[in-house]
Amino acid sequence: MRLDKVGKRYGIRLPWVVRDASLEIPAGGLVRFEGRNGSGKSTLLRVIAGVSAPSRGAVTGRPVTGYVPERFPAALPFPAREYLSHLGRVHGLTGPDLDTRIDACLDRLGGRELAPVPLRNMSKGMCQKVAVAQALLPPSGLLVLDEAWTGLDVEAKAALDEAVAERLADGGSVVFVDHEPGRLARLGGDRWRLENGRATRVANGSAAGAKASSSAALASVVVIELAGEIPELDGLPGVVSAGREAGRLIVRVQRDSSDAVLRAALAGDSVHVLRVGDEPAETDGGR
Amino acid sequence: MIALTRYQLSLLLRSHRWIPPAVLFVLGVAGLGGAALPHGAGLSQGLAWSALMLVPVEAWLTRSMLTAEPAAARACVAAAGGPRRTQVAALIAAVVAGAAFGLLGVAWEVFSLGVPRLPATNAIRTGAAFAELGGGLAATLICLLVGSAIAALLNPPVVRRPAAGMLGTTGAVVLALAWNGSPANAAVRSVGYGSQEKTWPAGVALLAAVVLLALAWAISAQVAARRDG
Repeated sequence: MRLDKVGKRYGIRLPWVVRDASLEIPAGGLVRFEGRNGSGKSTLLRVIAGVSAPSRGAVTGRPVTGYVPERFPAALPFPAREYLSHLGRVHGLTGPDLDTRIDACLDRLGGRELAPVPLRNMSKGMCQKVAVAQALLPPSGLLVLDEAWTGLDVEAKAALDEAVAERLADGGSVVFVDHEPGRLARLGGDRWRLENGRATRVANGSAAGAKASSSAALASVVVIELAGEIPELDGLPGVVSAGREAGRLIVRVQRDSSDAVLRAALAGDSVHVLRVGDEPAETDGGR
Repeated sequence: MIALTRYQLSLLLRSHRWIPPAVLFVLGVAGLGGAALPHGAGLSQGLAWSALMLVPVEAWLTRSMLTAEPAAARACVAAAGGPRRTQVAALIAAVVAGAAFGLLGVAWEVFSLGVPRLPATNAIRTGAAFAELGGGLAATLICLLVGSAIAALLNPPVVRRPAAGMLGTTGAVVLALAWNGSPANAAVRSVGYGSQEKTWPAGVALLAAVVLLALAWAISAQVAARRDG
């Protein structure tokens, strides 16, 4: 998809929040926006997500879009599952497909038990999981993440990183803003800086580079570092190696089995997940 | 569009925001109607009264629908379904709810005023009663559309300040009922409530209501996309 000289203001007499933004977001592309508070990041993300029409210029070729807003309020009168069913249907999912996707998205974020909980009874972090889950419902297309990691627990943050890498490898695109400077840095991608509503590219990950690094990361193994009383993981499918180092258990596992292994590990009584990520040697290449 | 409307309707039902307008409608039709209608009023007059009550009730339902969601929740839906379509779905949901109220109102009038006077054997009287019912349903539809159009124009995202929205909507509803150029006023009078002098035919009133609705909805949807809900 592309943005052509996109400008945005919220009224004729109000100042421009975004000016003249022209950029291309290719399939498999990752784009990061940086800038101070009030520099227009959230507004630009809303235009990219299609929540808000540009006041000037054009946005073309937007695929199916999942959007995670900056703050997702708990003021809706639904249990999480019903809310996700509604959003899934709006995304065009139906029948058993819809149920499978809802379970998969909640599971992935470690939020299965949230399904029957009414949104208004949820804490900020729980609500944020639902907000991320609704954006992950469509299995492909564009993901727009406005500080989506804020409020998530460590495991869910890692799961979201992984979901982004998968989306890129599948040919989807991801646009994000986050206050954590290193967020998703290993996946490469373009970095844009916004100042007074003007966007300038500060780093060119080149779509091909981002794609290559993300698929390389995907093809390989995931490293899970755990501490505590850990159940037996050696025999599980996809486990490449499991060994103790300095009091922590380091499990190397095929990427497509990593969720299952992590779940098995978390079945233990007092298990702490210290890290979920790629082999350190490979992440350096992407920077 | 169906999925979006279903979401909005379920939001309206589960948030219980439909209850205050429902109470107004019941009080207006069953309670106030008894006092406002002349003694010995016919079915037509009853149907006209129930249609008239639907203007403020539909305006209230629409306002409730348009203010039901926090902005961020609306943004998630708008990313999935498009901001204009999401806004139109909310307006449709309020019309669906209002139509249900309207039909209940018609049923109430038929059972309280129509059925007791209907001589089962007299085919001509039965035919006349059906004509009255048809006129009443048309008036109900016109009032429903006018109520929706008013509220779409005078509530978020077009008018965002709560005080301005509520006062403006109330004023417009009073105007729509009292001013004899308004389609709702014409519809109610053509069925038989109040003076029938200088009324538009029901067909013209319906056309005017549809045009008004289309304009109001288009503006509301456009502003929703421009201003982010």
